[in-house]
Amino acid sequence: MEIKYEPVLRVVDLWKSYEDLEVLKGVSFDLAEREVKVIFGPSGSGKSTLLRCINMLSPPDKGEVYLSGQNLIAPSVNINAIRARIGMVFQHFNLFAHLKAIDNVSLGLRRVKGLPKEEARVKALETLERVKMAKWADHYPAQLSGGQQQRVGIARALAMEPDVILFDEPTSALDPELIGEVLQVMLDIAKAGTTMVVVTHEMGFARAVASEMIFLDSGIILERGTPEHMLTSPKSGRVKFFLKQIDILYGRHEELIKLPDEDENK
Amino acid sequence: MIFQELPEQLQDFLRVLEYWDHILVGLTKTLWLYVWALLIGFFLGLLFSILRQYGGRILSRIATGYIELMRGTPLLVQLFLFYFLPFSLNALLEAQGLPFIPIGRWRFYVSTTIFNRTLTVVLLDHATLIGILTLGLNSAAYQAEYFRGAITSIGTGQLEAAQSLGMSRRAGIFHVVLPQALRRVIPAWSNEAAYLPKYTLVVFYIGVSELFAKAHYIISEIFLTLATYTIIALIFLVLITIISKLLDFIYKRTAIPGL
Amino acid sequence: MNDVPNFATIFFYILRTGLPATLMLTALGLLIGFVLGLTLALMRVYGGKELGWLASGYEKLLRGIPVLILISIFSFGIPGLFWYLEPLERPLAGCILALGLRSGAYQSQIFRGAILSVNPGQMEAALALGMSRFQAFQHVIFPQALRLSVPSSSNEYAVVIKDSSFAYGVGITEITKSGLDIAGNFIELWALSMGVVAIIYFLFTYPITRIFGERQTKKLKKLGMGGG
Repeated sequence: MEIKYEPVLRVVDLWKSYEDLEVLKGVSFDLAEREVKVIFGPSGSGKSTLLRCINMLSPPDKGEVYLSGQNLIAPSVNINAIRARIGMVFQHFNLFAHLKAIDNVSLGLRRVKGLPKEEARVKALETLERVKMAKWADHYPAQLSGGQQQRVGIARALAMEPDVILFDEPTSALDPELIGEVLQVMLDIAKAGTTMVVVTHEMGFARAVASEMIFLDSGIILERGTPEHMLTSPKSGRVKFFLKQIDILYGRHEELIKLPDEDENK
Repeated sequence: MIFQELPEQLQDFLRVLEYWDHILVGLTKTLWLYVWALLIGFFLGLLFSILRQYGGRILSRIATGYIELMRGTPLLVQLFLFYFLPFSLNALLEAQGLPFIPIGRWRFYVSTTIFNRTLTVVLLDHATLIGILTLGLNSAAYQAEYFRGAITSIGTGQLEAAQSLGMSRRAGIFHVVLPQALRRVIPAWSNEAAYLPKYTLVVFYIGVSELFAKAHYIISEIFLTLATYTIIALIFLVLITIISKLLDFIYKRTAIPGL
Repeated sequence: MNDVPNFATIFFYILRTGLPATLMLTALGLLIGFVLGLTLALMRVYGGKELGWLASGYEKLLRGIPVLILISIFSFGIPGLFWYLEPLERPLAGCILALGLRSGAYQSQIFRGAILSVNPGQMEAALALGMSRFQAFQHVIFPQALRLSVPSSSNEYAVVIKDSSFAYGVGITEITKSGLDIAGNFIELWALSMGVVAIIYFLFTYPITRIFGERQTKKLKKLGMGGG
């Protein structure tokens, strides 16, 4: 029996150019509730742009985005209200430097959702507890490590109880030792049922919780499939090459990092 | 008499200081001009820097044009321009037989008597008003540049994060960018704030009776040019140092780690 | 000329009559400021404690005194000054001296900043080649510092040419004074005349600060210089 459901997020044929450069050339996918999608690919492939098109920080030139059935491109839509339902976690954290951790998390609750101060504070503290940062609630971002800042960033997005959270390479700017704590938090909330779109090259995370992996190259979806499919037997040679590069990067491959020579296939 | 034994320079200084009531009046007037100019410059400068950074094409260009014009022309010329404008307009209007702008001789002042001398400070009259406005408009252009530097140093990520929560651009600017920018700008702004008193002298040329004007008056009475100017210069040095240290203190008190 | 002067007449009159004095004040003031500023900067960077303290004190002093007062002091405050000049030339010399002394204090800061922002590795490399500190400064540090100081120096030029307007107060016929002169008794012209004066100053400041300010900074970044 087919159960009809409305996907939380529908991205339909997105096109985006900056000046003369075409960054996205017709990207589409659906996202169901509680689903985790991982988007990966070489730099410049348009992954960050894709996320920013979804929450309209940088609206697409062509195509549509639907959040729980609502068309985000429609002129009558209140984009701020929509953004309150889409969370974002940034590569460089973007924590509000002048606010303590607890205030970073509660600012959105107070100013956007209109919660009274005390209620916002309680909720913020609970969310910080979920990301294991409650002890540092009164610290300023500059007093926290990168991993700690990013966890606060995740709490800030979580507290708004959005329909979906977008992650823009959340661990790329972190020292290796700090990546683990952030990935653990992301695993926890994924298992708890959060709907997520994650741009990352952390394949372990993808294998653990992703329902689908999408390979983006030069603005086009080159291949998509389950983690088992993508990580063991991808069809495209491009994907194979990219995955091999990641393995080399993490030292899991027999080959060492090679200096560029004629063998480089691009 | 003791006075006869002091070196000549010191004698000169003391003779200048006999006019302490005039000096005090002049100093008060100078401070009065300074505070108003600083305030006007602050709010107007903040407004212009926000317009320039976030204003959209037309507003941004207007703000930039204003800033470049005020910074590219001498304060004295601006002062004369604004002061003469009503008079010139009146002359033109009169020639056409049209009613003209009333520039009355009005004044608001405070007066007090200390040690048998009466001190009167004119708080507002036509020339003082023009002076304060010009100083304020001028200072606004320079302060706007400091604010702009602070705003751009904060980076676009902060506003992005605020918007991603659902805050409107305006709310994001007001609640996230500005608080940080205002704290970041304090060192550079203190520079402008501390040295602004120096420029208030220029209103002497439109007849405002502040410290520089008083210096001229004293010189016209006792002809001790060097001594008088030296004392005035010292007053400014002390004033500026006090303001600097005060702002330094405030900055250290409100420091936030990482800002 | 018995009819009312118009915009063009005013414009060219001011240029003819006032510009020479303004340019002389600015050029000589900046020159004195350059020599003085460079000396003070060297004193602060390489001079050791006492010299550094002296230079720093001079800076604080000259930055805290309004330029109008400096001009007044040197134009007719010191009776014996410029004894070798004609009485009418003395205010001009006084203004130039005042502008120069003031500019020296500010250029000192500019050069000190520029010298310090040259990569310290440059000095190390020069010494490693066997140069003396003086040679290293002359051939390696100074050229780079000079280029780094261009944006700030263009700003200082604008400041000095604007301050030269204060020479009006001691009777020198520079741009501002000639603007007032030509307007004369025609009250309706006063504002217009000042407007023309403003435009003239703007023409002499904005293009230069625009060219040597921002673009120079961007070019420097491209060449990879500075940012020690």
